[in-house]
Amino acid sequence: MFGFGKKKKTISVIAPMTGKAVPLDQVPDPAFSQKIIGDGIAIEPNEGLLIAPFDGHVVHLIDTLHSLVLGHESGLEILVHIGVNTVSLQGKPFKTYVKTGDKVKKGDKLIEFDMDMIKAEGLPVITPIIVANGDVVSNLKVHEGAVTAGTGVLMEVTVK
Amino acid sequence: MEKQFTIKNPQGIHARPAGAIMKSASEFKDTQISLEFNGRKVSAKSITGVLTLGMKSGDTVNVIAEGEQAAAAIEAVGAVLESVLD
Repeated sequence: MFGFGKKKKTISVIAPMTGKAVPLDQVPDPAFSQKIIGDGIAIEPNEGLLIAPFDGHVVHLIDTLHSLVLGHESGLEILVHIGVNTVSLQGKPFKTYVKTGDKVKKGDKLIEFDMDMIKAEGLPVITPIIVANGDVVSNLKVHEGAVTAGTGVLMEVTVK
Repeated sequence: MEKQFTIKNPQGIHARPAGAIMKSASEFKDTQISLEFNGRKVSAKSITGVLTLGMKSGDTVNVIAEGEQAAAAIEAVGAVLESVLD
């Protein structure tokens, strides 16, 4: 960002949830499946815990607690949206460990969520994890398959 | 050029409506479009910017645009701001 000598940087986004990483087209919400909001991947979680996928900060925690934007020092911003239509739950199934502006370390607990409560409302828990500012990205590589929170690279994002 | 619009979505501007605002604004490539609310001004082409405004139903937001298609851009983005997307 400052001056000359800047090289392209690739950020490893570690799996922030345990479950199965699947393509965005599996998300039953066109805003995500058609990549209107941005490109990325989704996780079908089998545990109700979201952790930080890199060292960074909370750019914005939505006040219904189901979604947040995380910023990396490179300028990369990642939006995580737990479930589909979960805004309607008004925060009830979610317990947050961070607030807007907080610094986070890779692996820090961000949000716990009650998967049974979300499913009981008839809502999917599949969670899109997407690049919120695609204009800074020159390359994005996603890794599908089984993932464990805190281990393994979910996405490799190269910033301009 | 600028114009005010009122948020009608009962859930406020969460991820999906924010995405719709960004998509609408991004269609005007050569026009700079900003949203101004509660003392903050952000690019309407940034999902993060739009989300961080935390706009709720009933809030009034100022849409500011500069460039050749400014008037059309303001109307397009304004229509999304005033629409109800659940």
